[in-house]
Amino acid sequence: MTASLFLEMVINGLISGSIYALVGSGIALVYGTTRVLNFAHGELLMIAGYLVLFFAVTLGWNVILASVVTLALVGGIGAAIQRVTIAPLLAREDWAFRVIAATIGLSILLQSGAQIVWGEQFRTLPYFFDGVVSLGGLRMPVQRLSILVIALALMGLCALVLYRTGLGRIVRATAQDAEAALAVGIPAGLVHTSVFAISAVLAGAGAILLSPILTVNPWMGVSFLLKGFAVVILGGLGSFGGAVAAGFLLGLIEAASVTVLPTEWRDVVAFTFLIAVIWVRPNGLFAGREA
Amino acid sequence: MLRLEGIDVHYGATQVLWSVDMHVAQGEIVAIMGPNGSGKSTVLKAAMGLKAPSGGRVRLDGREMQSAPATERPRHGMAIVLERRRLFPRMSVHENIVLGAYARPARETRGSLDWVLGLLPDLRDHLDATAGKLSGGQQQMVAIARGLMARPRVLLMDEPFLGLSPAMVRTVSAIMRTINDEGVAILFNEQNAKLSFALSHRGYLLESGRVILSGSGQEMLDHPEVKRVYLGVREEAVR
Amino acid sequence: MIEVLGRRPALTLSVCVALFLLISVLPVNDYVLHILTLSLIFAMFASGWNLTLGILGLKTLGHHAFFAIGAYLSAIVAFYGGVSPWLTIWAGAALAALAGLLIGLPILRIRSMPHVAIVTLAFAEIVRLIFSNLKDITRGELGFWGIPPFDPVSFGETTIRFGLGNAWGSYVLAGAFFFAVQAGLLLLLRSRPGMTFAAIRDSEAAAESLGINLSTWKLAAFALSAGIVGLSGAIYAHYVMILTPTSVAGPEMLITLLAIIIVGGAGRFFGPLYGALLLTGSLELLREFGEYRMLLYGALVIGFVFAAPHGIAGLRIGRLRRRDRRGTRERSSAA
Ligand SMILES: Nc1ncnc2c1ncn2[C@@H]1O[C@H](COP(=O)(O)OP(=O)(O)O)[C@@H](O)[C@H]1O
Ligand SMILES: [Mg+2]
Repeated sequence: MTASLFLEMVINGLISGSIYALVGSGIALVYGTTRVLNFAHGELLMIAGYLVLFFAVTLGWNVILASVVTLALVGGIGAAIQRVTIAPLLAREDWAFRVIAATIGLSILLQSGAQIVWGEQFRTLPYFFDGVVSLGGLRMPVQRLSILVIALALMGLCALVLYRTGLGRIVRATAQDAEAALAVGIPAGLVHTSVFAISAVLAGAGAILLSPILTVNPWMGVSFLLKGFAVVILGGLGSFGGAVAAGFLLGLIEAASVTVLPTEWRDVVAFTFLIAVIWVRPNGLFAGREA
Repeated sequence: MLRLEGIDVHYGATQVLWSVDMHVAQGEIVAIMGPNGSGKSTVLKAAMGLKAPSGGRVRLDGREMQSAPATERPRHGMAIVLERRRLFPRMSVHENIVLGAYARPARETRGSLDWVLGLLPDLRDHLDATAGKLSGGQQQMVAIARGLMARPRVLLMDEPFLGLSPAMVRTVSAIMRTINDEGVAILFNEQNAKLSFALSHRGYLLESGRVILSGSGQEMLDHPEVKRVYLGVREEAVR
Repeated sequence: MIEVLGRRPALTLSVCVALFLLISVLPVNDYVLHILTLSLIFAMFASGWNLTLGILGLKTLGHHAFFAIGAYLSAIVAFYGGVSPWLTIWAGAALAALAGLLIGLPILRIRSMPHVAIVTLAFAEIVRLIFSNLKDITRGELGFWGIPPFDPVSFGETTIRFGLGNAWGSYVLAGAFFFAVQAGLLLLLRSRPGMTFAAIRDSEAAAESLGINLSTWKLAAFALSAGIVGLSGAIYAHYVMILTPTSVAGPEMLITLLAIIIVGGAGRFFGPLYGALLLTGSLELLREFGEYRMLLYGALVIGFVFAAPHGIAGLRIGRLRRRDRRGTRERSSAA
C-alpha cells in the first residue's frame, strides 16, 4: 500500500468514525445518565436530514441558518420523545425492556411516517463547502474534511458543557449516583430531558454533516443506530469519552476492511469485531472511564 | 419538628414498614436502632421522600411533606447522608460538597462552604482529591459536609459509622455532637445499641418494620429487652 | 408457572387444536387459509423467541437471524442438493440451534440487558448481510426463488400437496408443526426444566444458589429457542418458495415479531398464538393500506407497552385472577 493510499484510508476512517462518534456519544450520554437505550435514536438523524433539506433546499435558506434551526428543532424532538414515551415508563416494573420495545415501536412509526409524508425519494443536499485540499498527493474535498473538523468541535463543545457547566455537573452527578443526586435536590426529570436533547443534537449534527454526501431517506437512521450501539458497547456502556474513541476506532477498522474486502462486507467486519470484543472484554475496550 | 405518623412502606407486594410513628424535636439527636433488614434505611428514605410511603404522613414543622418530592425537601430544611456515603465517586471533594447546596440559592454557597469547612477543617486539605479515592472515614466527612451544605434543620444519617475504625467512630460521633450544638437536629440509625443510645437523646427500637420500643437514650440502654437481646448478643458477637 | 401458562394450559391447547381441525374441514376460502398458515408459522417463530425473551427473561432482539438461517439453509440444501424438504428443514433447525449456541456463549457472560439486546441485534445484521452478499448462492436481494415445496403425501387415493397455491395442505402442515411444537414446549415447561427456567427468570442469583448451572441452562434454552425459530423459518421457506435477506432478516421482521409477542403477551405461553392470529389476520384486512402497515405495527407496540404490557394473554390472566384469587394462589404454591 502506498503512503497516500494509507493516508486516504486513515482519513476516510476518521471521517466515518467521527459520525459514529457523534451518534454513539449521544447514546452513551443518555445511557450513562438514565440507563435508557433509545432505539429511536437513529430516527433523530433521519428527521434532522429531512428538516435541513426542507430549510436549505425547499425554503432556500442559508445553510448555517438551516442547520441551527434544524438542531434546535431536533433537540426539542429528542426532549419530547423522552418526556412523552420514556419518562412515563420509568416508574413501572420491567421498565428497561418496555423502553426498548416502545422505542423500537416509535422508530418504526417514525420511519413509516416519513415514508408516507416524504415518499421514498432519496434526496441530497448540495455541498456546503467547495474546494479540494491536497495532502501529499491525496486530494480530499473540503466538504468531507469538514465533517471531521466540525464533529470534533461539537464533541469538544459537548465535553465542555459536561465538565465545565452547572448543567454538566448535575448530569455527571446523576450518572454517577442517581439516588444521591436526587437526595441533594437535583431534579432527575430535568437531567434526563437535557441529555436526550443533547444526544438528539449530536445525532442531528451527524445527519446535517452527512446530508450532502449521503441520501436522506426514511431508513437512513437504521444503520447508524446499529453502529452507534456498537460504539457504545465497545467504548464501555455509558462512557462518553469511550464512545468517542470507539467511534473513531470503528471507522478506522471499516476503512481498513474495505482495502482488503469488497465494500459489502464492511458491516460484517464491524459487527463481527463487536461480538469478538464482547467475547473477550465484556466491559468494552476502555472500561472504567465513565462520565 | 420532624414527625412521621403511621408510615407504611411497600416494596412491590411486600410490606416492610408497619405504621411507624417517630418524631424529632428541635435540637435533638434521635437514634433508630434495629437489626439488619428491620427497615431503618427505609424509614429515613420515606422521611426524605426517596421512597414513597403507601400510608401515613411526614410532617416538617406541622407542614405536610407528601406532595413535596425528594428534590424539594432540602429546600424545606431536610438533608440525608445515605448509607455507605454514596459520594459522586469521580468528582472532586469540592464538587461533591458544593452539589450539596444545589437546592439552596447560589448566593448562600460561599457562606455555607465556610461554615461547613469550619466544622470539618480536615476537608480543606482534600478539596481537589477525587472523592472515590478517599478512605472510608474521609468519605464519611465529605458525605456529612455535602449534607450540611443544604443548611438542614434536621439531618438524616443512615448508618454513619458503618465500616469505620473505632477511632473514626469517635471522630464522627464528636462531629455529630458539634453539628447538633450548631442547632441541627439529627435522626440517625445504627445497629449497635450502645453506640446508638450513648450518643442520642432519645431512641427507637425497630424490629421487622415496627417500632417496638422508644424512650430516652438511657432508658433504652437500661431496658431489659435491649439489654438481653441487643447488648448481650452484641457483646458475644463482638468477641 | 401459572403466570406463564395460564390456567389449564392443556385444555386451552386442546381447544385451539379442535378449532384448528374444525377450520380444516369447513369450506374456508383459500385466502383465509393462507393467512392462517402465515399466522401459524409466525406463531411458531414467536413461541421460540418467547422462550428466551419472556420465559427465560433474556432480552434478545436478534431471533430473525435464526429464522433466516433455518429458511436459507433448508432452501439451499433442498434446491442445490435435491434433498426433500421433509429432511432439509431439520438441517435448517439444527444449524439455527448451533448458531444459537454460538451467539449464546458471549451473551452468557454478560448479565446486562443492553449488551444482550445489542449483541443479538448485531448478530442478526451479520446474518442478513452474509445471505445478501453470497450472491452466487442466494442471488442476494434479487431473491432466492424456485425453492421446492414439501413433497406431496398420499393416503390411498388422496394426495395432499403443499406450498403456496395449495392452501389446504399448507394450512394443515403448518398447524401440525405448530401444535406439535406447542405440545412439546408445554410438556417441557411443566416438568423440571420449566421450573428451572422460572427460577432463573425470577432471580439468577437465587437460582445459582440452588445449584442450577446458569450457563448450561441458558445455553440449552438459547439453542432450543433458536432451533424452534429456525424450524419455523424452514417451513416458511418451503411455503412461500422465495426468500430475500431483507424479508426474513430485516428490521420489518423484527418489528413484526416484536409486535406479535408484545400484543400477544411476552412470557405468556399462548401469547404468540393470539398475537400472530390477531396481527397477521387483522392487518391482512387492511391490505389496501399497505404503506400504513408498519405505522400500525409501531403504534400497536407502543400502545400495548403502555396500556397492556402483558398483552392479550395477560388481560385474560388478569381477569381470571381477580375472579379466583384463592384458587390461583393455591395452585401456584402447589406448583
Ligand atoms: N429496593 C428494595 N427492593 C425490595 N426490597 C427492599 C429494597 N430495599 C430494602 N428492601 C427490603 O426492605 C427491608 C428493610 O430494608 P432496610 O430499610 O434497608 O433495612 P435496614 O436499613 O434496617 O437494614 C428488608 O427486608 C429489605 O430486604
Ligand atoms: Mg440500612
